Amino acid sequence: MIHIVVVGILVIIMAILTYVGANSVGLMPVQASAQAVPIDWMWGWQVVAISFLFALIVVPIFYSLIVFRRKKGDTSDAEHIEGNTPLEITWTVIPLIIVVAFAYMGAYSLGESRRITDPNAMIIKVTARQFSWTFEYPEYGFVSNELHLPVWKQVVLKMEAVDVIHSFWVPEFRVKQDVVPGRVTEYRITPNLVGSYKVRCAELCGSNHADMEGAVIISTQADYDTWVAEQVELAAAATPEGRGKKLITANGCIGCHSVTPQPGVSAPSWFGLFGSQVLLADGSTVTADDAYITESILDPAAKEVEGYSPTIMKPFTLTPDEIADILAYIKSLK
Amino acid sequence: MKKIFSIPLIRGIIWQVIGLLVGIGIVVGIRLAMGLPATGPYLVTEHAWVFGGFLGTLTFLAGHGVMDGWFKVWRGEIVSDHHEDKPGWEKYFGPSLDHKVIGIQYTVTGLIVMILGGTFALIFRTELAFEGMQFLQKAQYNTLMSMHGIVMIVVILLGIGGMMNYLVPLLIGAHDMAFPRLNSFAFWIVVPAAVWLLSSMALGGIETGWTGYPPLSANMKLVGQQMFFLAVFIVGWSSILGGLNLIATVVRMRAKGMIAFRMPIFVWASIATSLISLTATQLIGLSFQMVMFQRLFGMGFFDPNKGGNPVLFQHLFWFYSHPAVYVFILPGLGIVSELLPVFTRKPLFGYRWIAMSSLGIALVGFLVWAHHMFTSGMNEYLRVPFMYSTLLVAVPTGVKFFSWTATIWKGKIDNPVPTPMLFTVGAILVFLLGGLTGPPNATVSTDLHLHDTYWIVGHFHDTMFGGFMFPFFAALYYWFPKATGRRMNETLGKIHFWLMTPSFFVMSLGMMYIGLHGMRRRIADYDPAMNFQPMHLIITISGFLIALSVLVFFINLIITMRKGEVARGNVWNSRSPEWLVESPMPAHNYEHPFEVVGEPYDYGLSGSKYVEFAKHK
Amino acid sequence: MSHTQDKASALKQGILIGVYLAVLTLLEFLVAVSFMSVMVLAVIALVKAALVAYYFMHIYKLNAEHEGSHDSYEYKTGTNRLGLWLFLLSDSFVFGGLLVSRFNLLGMERPELNQMLGLGVTCVLLLSSFFMNRAETSIAHGDTKGFLNGTLITIVLGVAFLVGVVGVEWRLAKLADVIVNKDVSGGIFYMMTGMHAFHVLTGVIFLFLVWRNGRKGYFTQEQHWGVEAAAVYWHFVDLVWIFFYPALYLIGKLIV
Repeated sequence: MIHIVVVGILVIIMAILTYVGANSVGLMPVQASAQAVPIDWMWGWQVVAISFLFALIVVPIFYSLIVFRRKKGDTSDAEHIEGNTPLEITWTVIPLIIVVAFAYMGAYSLGESRRITDPNAMIIKVTARQFSWTFEYPEYGFVSNELHLPVWKQVVLKMEAVDVIHSFWVPEFRVKQDVVPGRVTEYRITPNLVGSYKVRCAELCGSNHADMEGAVIISTQADYDTWVAEQVELAAAATPEGRGKKLITANGCIGCHSVTPQPGVSAPSWFGLFGSQVLLADGSTVTADDAYITESILDPAAKEVEGYSPTIMKPFTLTPDEIADILAYIKSLK
Repeated sequence: MKKIFSIPLIRGIIWQVIGLLVGIGIVVGIRLAMGLPATGPYLVTEHAWVFGGFLGTLTFLAGHGVMDGWFKVWRGEIVSDHHEDKPGWEKYFGPSLDHKVIGIQYTVTGLIVMILGGTFALIFRTELAFEGMQFLQKAQYNTLMSMHGIVMIVVILLGIGGMMNYLVPLLIGAHDMAFPRLNSFAFWIVVPAAVWLLSSMALGGIETGWTGYPPLSANMKLVGQQMFFLAVFIVGWSSILGGLNLIATVVRMRAKGMIAFRMPIFVWASIATSLISLTATQLIGLSFQMVMFQRLFGMGFFDPNKGGNPVLFQHLFWFYSHPAVYVFILPGLGIVSELLPVFTRKPLFGYRWIAMSSLGIALVGFLVWAHHMFTSGMNEYLRVPFMYSTLLVAVPTGVKFFSWTATIWKGKIDNPVPTPMLFTVGAILVFLLGGLTGPPNATVSTDLHLHDTYWIVGHFHDTMFGGFMFPFFAALYYWFPKATGRRMNETLGKIHFWLMTPSFFVMSLGMMYIGLHGMRRRIADYDPAMNFQPMHLIITISGFLIALSVLVFFINLIITMRKGEVARGNVWNSRSPEWLVESPMPAHNYEHPFEVVGEPYDYGLSGSKYVEFAKHK
Repeated sequence: MSHTQDKASALKQGILIGVYLAVLTLLEFLVAVSFMSVMVLAVIALVKAALVAYYFMHIYKLNAEHEGSHDSYEYKTGTNRLGLWLFLLSDSFVFGGLLVSRFNLLGMERPELNQMLGLGVTCVLLLSSFFMNRAETSIAHGDTKGFLNGTLITIVLGVAFLVGVVGVEWRLAKLADVIVNKDVSGGIFYMMTGMHAFHVLTGVIFLFLVWRNGRKGYFTQEQHWGVEAAAVYWHFVDLVWIFFYPALYLIGKLIV
């Protein structure tokens, strides 16, 4: 009996230590959405259960291993205890009750995280492709490769994939949703902390899956409005360069290519590309003229650039006008 | 030279290559005759590789000789199922019918493949230890990561195949499995499958993870993807036939007096496992076959452009692949329940409850698959019911844990603790961590954050190590004298344990920690801004320490085989029938059949007996 | 129990079950063309399957007690029987998976197929099951000649079914724009019929081996596990078609 009491006390101490220890290392990133609150509440209770059950099993095992181990010279078997049906029923029924309670809490917190606080929430169209994210703001008619959101406003992302399955995840938002080709999935979120985050693709989507990240910027309403105004102005500028820039964002080109002297994520930079000599994987060189760039858009594998072979880019179907706009934009990058 | 070719394994592999070449030739010929292009980025088109692989598997089996008995039956000859092996090592390379030989074939193949799977992990772990790409390309990383996953799954299937084949007939007092020829066949088809699996690395690799989700797996222009599907399909058949054989054996071949509730607990676990592998495995085979056909013939099952549904694949796939994790762990948990009474010198606490909990886990396991798909975009109303069913698995698992704790309570465990018992306790602790980190993934709301992160990676490494690796090592240390007549070195065994266990805890806890903070699964590189590098370095070092500990195990194995301590008697003072006869086990098992006269785990009850051997044959 | 019947009444029972199955198949077809109810079709299919499983496949034999030592032919046959049924249980998961895929992908729609041909091949397969049953009943009562003839007719009907599906139906379907790589309805049609045809093919090969060994006098009244295995497998293939036929030909409205 004394053993049971000691073990009971040790279990409580161990459970408290585990719980405090787990929480002191900081288990979750910051909360940046209203949806994170019920999810973290659920998580908190799970840590309580984990700590307690961990102690409940580990303490008696170690206690027994130390206290009841075979004494020197003892060769007899241990006490013949076959089982105890009331005890077995107890540790079937009580966990069953706990499990049902936790499932209920899980459903409750899920419901909370899906609560529609703004039925007229702004809709943003998200397109996922290998290996970039594109965000279209239909209300304003522009496309961006950054997701800007005003703080404390619920928004709905309508997400679609063009090639394979991707998954939209901002760790600070807690919520994750796959983006599946052939269907539109929804992601409803209320950002609540100004800051700069990243959406990270959470479903293996090909060679460069690791790089499939996009900026998510939560700003005050005023900053957000300024950004929107800038974007609208840019989109309205109907120069060939302007249209070209819009096209390369909408088609996800700058997910891989870059427009600065730094090389892109997994594709050559376009900065100063036009008119330069490009070294190909087969050792030859080619001048980056209209014909070469057009061919590389329509049939990327025709001429593989050194260092980027085998080509991972897929052929794009664009009209000659669109290609002319993109060429104009690339020519402007000097 | 002639002697080498007389070894069935070598002969089979030569025939496999011939079959591959002939198959490729046939398809190339047909395509050329039809005016279709026959060459591709990997020399010939995918069709040729797949058909060659299929034909090569058949020619391996024919050339190896594992089907000779069936060929004779088909010709109308009468063949015997009784095994007669010549003494010596040659029998391990040929189609032996002896379940003990097949068990050892499974186990040794499993250990060899484990070295490969572990090496893949060490390579990509080294890459992950530092930010940026060091020495691998991202595509190579993806291939190594996918190969590590699927190769380790094959290792586990081989390992449980080894344990169940070797032990179950001995534990129930049968002279062999119910279908010895089928048993041999089920093992030998794994060999060509393993060759195809490894060949996929040379044919462009696999970049989809072992789950092979379409449309990615259907779009990737890599022949390796097809060889991977083919290999898994074949291994699946091994699992199905193995499960079938085991159920028939237990139902039909038990010793006299061995009623259901007097079967050793490992037999219960094996039955539960086999029920799953017999039935559910068909669906991973079907889903992979459908992707193969989508690639080969353009059938649009999972192609949204043709009206297909990518999420359907996930349903079919997980209908097997979730119960599959119970296939992986139930035999291991059976080993834990089997060894605890021997070392605590106490009866197994709540024998019937533990037996039923295995079946309970297996049956509930059929109803939980969609918890892998909470974020997949499937019908949303399915999420909460699947959360309830998944969390229910915690109840029978809890019964096991509490019963184990009660078995250990007041047990007289030897001091110092013998190596098999160390691994058994290690298994309980590691599996406890895996079990406790499960419910947050089963709960929809928290899973929205946890899904597809390193938290999951940590969680399932816990369950696989606790449910398979630790019990597997415990079983190897425990039954090694039975199979060889020599006992493994205790000191090296303890070094193995004390090196592996702490390293493993550091590794899996580290994985879970960075997972919670945003480290995704299956990424070749991570954002430096997240400051994960120190933890990744620690995880990598722990991984290497685990590898080192396994190296110690192999050294121990080799030393013991050559000059280990001879142990012919009841090394562990067990009540189980296989220990009551001399080691190594005679070729035809029990010379005198036994009858079950008592309970299996009545340690501490003086005068009690589990089995009684017949005086006469 | 019916396996202890004399030969005449056993054969009579086979005819009776064959007639039931034929009537149910016709009924099924009429339901589909008149008032189309999935519920009724499902019930009819289940009744047909139960008749086949009980009277043709003798599922109750799984329960039989076996006297004698574990090494006796009778005991081994019992073990083999369990093994075969476990295999069929496993295999039925493949076909179940295909049915689930069919309804998931196409819902209550179906590709346009030749109805008369569908009914025709279904009847051919049904008839083959009937003759298979006669062959097995014959050997169980020591009638080798009846067994050989029955098996041969089953093989011929099996080949006729294969020609009907793979040779004719696939060609007609292609003409009717059910094309393998065009859209998913073509894919699932060829996958389901192809997978089933593959099983029919293996069944035909199995039966051929049984027939050839039977001619050599390999099977006797007491020892004919090979015949029983081939028969049970053959009936299983028929049983699968009992579900595939309505799923492919009858249920749902045409895709236009």
